[in-house]
Amino acid sequence: MLRKKTCIAMLLAGGQGSRLGILTKNVAKPAIPYGGKYRIIDFPLSNCTNSGIDTVGVLTQYQPLELNAYIGNGAPWDLDINDGGVYVLPPYQKAKSLEWYRGTANAIYQNMAFIEQYNPDYVLILSGDHIYKMDYNAMLNFHVRHGADATIAVREVPWEEASRFGIMNTDSEGRIVEFEEKPKNPKSNKASMGVYIFTWEKLRKYLTEDEADKKSSNDFGKNIIPNMLGDKQAMFAYDFVGYWKDVGTIESLWEANMDLLDEPMPIDMHDKKWRIFARNAGMPPHYIAKGATVCDTLITEGCEVYGHVNRSILFAGVVVEEGAKVEHSVVMPGTIIRRGAVVKRAIIAENAVISAGAVVGEDEGNIAVVGNGVTVPPGAKVPAGEQVDEAYAF
Amino acid sequence: MKDVMGMIYTGGNDARLRELTTTRAVAALPVAGRYRVIDFLASSMVNAGIRNVGIITQKNYHSLMDHLGSGKEWNLHGKINGLHILPPFLTRENVGLYPGVLDAIRSNTNYLVRSKQETLVLSNSTIIYNAHLDEMVQFYRDTGADITLLYTKDPSMKRDEYGTYLNVDESGNVTDVEVEPTHPSCENTYMQVLVIRREFLIELVDKAVSHGLHDLDRDLIQRMVQEKQAKINAVEYKGLCWSIDSIQSFFKFNMDVLDPEKRRRIFRDELPVFTKVRDEMPAHYGDNAQVINSLVADGCQIEGTVENSVLFRGVKIAPNAHVKNCIIMQDGQVHEGGDIVNCILDKQAVIKRNSRLIGPDAYPIVIAKDVVV
Repeated sequence: MLRKKTCIAMLLAGGQGSRLGILTKNVAKPAIPYGGKYRIIDFPLSNCTNSGIDTVGVLTQYQPLELNAYIGNGAPWDLDINDGGVYVLPPYQKAKSLEWYRGTANAIYQNMAFIEQYNPDYVLILSGDHIYKMDYNAMLNFHVRHGADATIAVREVPWEEASRFGIMNTDSEGRIVEFEEKPKNPKSNKASMGVYIFTWEKLRKYLTEDEADKKSSNDFGKNIIPNMLGDKQAMFAYDFVGYWKDVGTIESLWEANMDLLDEPMPIDMHDKKWRIFARNAGMPPHYIAKGATVCDTLITEGCEVYGHVNRSILFAGVVVEEGAKVEHSVVMPGTIIRRGAVVKRAIIAENAVISAGAVVGEDEGNIAVVGNGVTVPPGAKVPAGEQVDEAYAF
Repeated sequence: MKDVMGMIYTGGNDARLRELTTTRAVAALPVAGRYRVIDFLASSMVNAGIRNVGIITQKNYHSLMDHLGSGKEWNLHGKINGLHILPPFLTRENVGLYPGVLDAIRSNTNYLVRSKQETLVLSNSTIIYNAHLDEMVQFYRDTGADITLLYTKDPSMKRDEYGTYLNVDESGNVTDVEVEPTHPSCENTYMQVLVIRREFLIELVDKAVSHGLHDLDRDLIQRMVQEKQAKINAVEYKGLCWSIDSIQSFFKFNMDVLDPEKRRRIFRDELPVFTKVRDEMPAHYGDNAQVINSLVADGCQIEGTVENSVLFRGVKIAPNAHVKNCIIMQDGQVHEGGDIVNCILDKQAVIKRNSRLIGPDAYPIVIAKDVVV
């Protein structure tokens, strides 16, 4: 028998993130490297640890290997504890059926037994798609204080963009009166962040009912929340203020990385009280050689820079050889930029090689992408917006 | 490698490291941007498959305990084995400082008796190396030796009136031992690492201490070689090593790590060096940063000029600050217009606006921990 928990988190990490193109060919979106030493999932996991939530179920189904290996026993996030910690929860075979997670709500439904072990009062639902720092405990206090059945984190978006989001219309006390998915004429600019707290008893009831409804698409946004609203359950919007970025596309992933180079940094990554934890590559500090120039850049351990790096992000173990140039780019772990190669406005995935004299990306236009383990041959050109994988014909 | 345990002795002679070791053991001295001396030794043991490591601490061992924690980062947090920090405790015989390594080991006889491994690797903690200790243990086992010692031919490891030197014949047997000679006559410097049977060590140490002996090299190894009562042989370590026994040698190690060739020889892919993780974000270089030939750790924020230097985690170099030939430990700061050459800044030291500190090439200036200049 496990000890009762007040609140546990369920992190939906099953999405393919197909708009990230070749970057998510072999890895799930939450495992995408970000910010020089992190992966996207480090943000929700670190937020949990920093918020005092020590039990997290991570629901995976698309390309889970890398994510599983990365999460491991949860030690980097202090989630390697005896009564709780982090658990990777892939779909599994039951006595009568074997089914994939059909939707976000179904994924939670299929893991009700996991949740019940902890007999929690509240369940926090997260996704592994966003870069943000958030105190979930403050949100939980808000939920308890308002005697809510469900609390949905919202942030204000520019009015002209509001029609791209799920919008919460609230009364003066923050109570949600209406939920509109991508409304043509938005009545509010409070967009859902995909962060929910439910009183577990209520959620269990709605999940069970939703599962029985054969017509349902088993989704929180499309089914559970509208159903609860329809039944006049106590639902509140919790205002989040701060940096929040959806990294769903190549452009937004690139932008989110470049945001870290702005001064002041829009998301404070130096805050000792709210560290973002990550699995460490365990390499020596990086080395900047004589003749190298580096400015406006983030560089982490294990890198060796002999060339020129400007306004870029270099992940662990990246080598920039003599005369090579890296500008406005994101270079992921283990990649080598050979002598005289030029990389501009590009994302280079892990363990790639940009051979001597090759040119990736252009000064303008869309972001060029080189996939995992790809070798760009000497002198080759990768134009702006192009995505290069092993099968690419140079 | 199974059935091997490790023991690291920390303490000993550190007078020539001055301010750097007033609040810490040499083993806990920060080096190479993110490590402590002990990381190299403990990692060598772990990489050899050793899962039970005892660390004998003596004075000021707080920073060492803080660094090692539960041993998690070295994969030494097992249930059966793991990391054992062995602080001194007062007994009838031991009233504070251990007179020598033998006394220190004897005080921890209980730990040795409780351990289950047949073979023991004993290492001191003033020499940095990254060795295949499994090969050394294999040699010890293959040759049926009672004790196997590790030595180096590196001439820079020789010290007048200091250190222990070995004469080794072609089959590896030790024929003579010189302890603290005025001018060492052999080229082999003993690296203070040995392999021995655990129970044999317990027996030897007990006998030695009960006869009033304290010094491992002089009273045990040298005597045994002279009296030919045991088979003592040695293997050569061909990698790079550094004796951290003075401000200059500490400075030299850090500067040597700037050399890509030397760095690759001490940080080897197959022998990773583990250390405590601090979860700092990557280092940030500002618009006007100019950095050449330097090692920079995560969490640094650089706006000024840095040359031939080692910056530890969380160091801040303000605009128009100049840093040359310096070692700046964790969270050190050089403010605007600061200008420092040949300096070692201990943790959290601060160089205020427009301060200048120019040390001579031969003797770097040491700014103690938390000092504001």
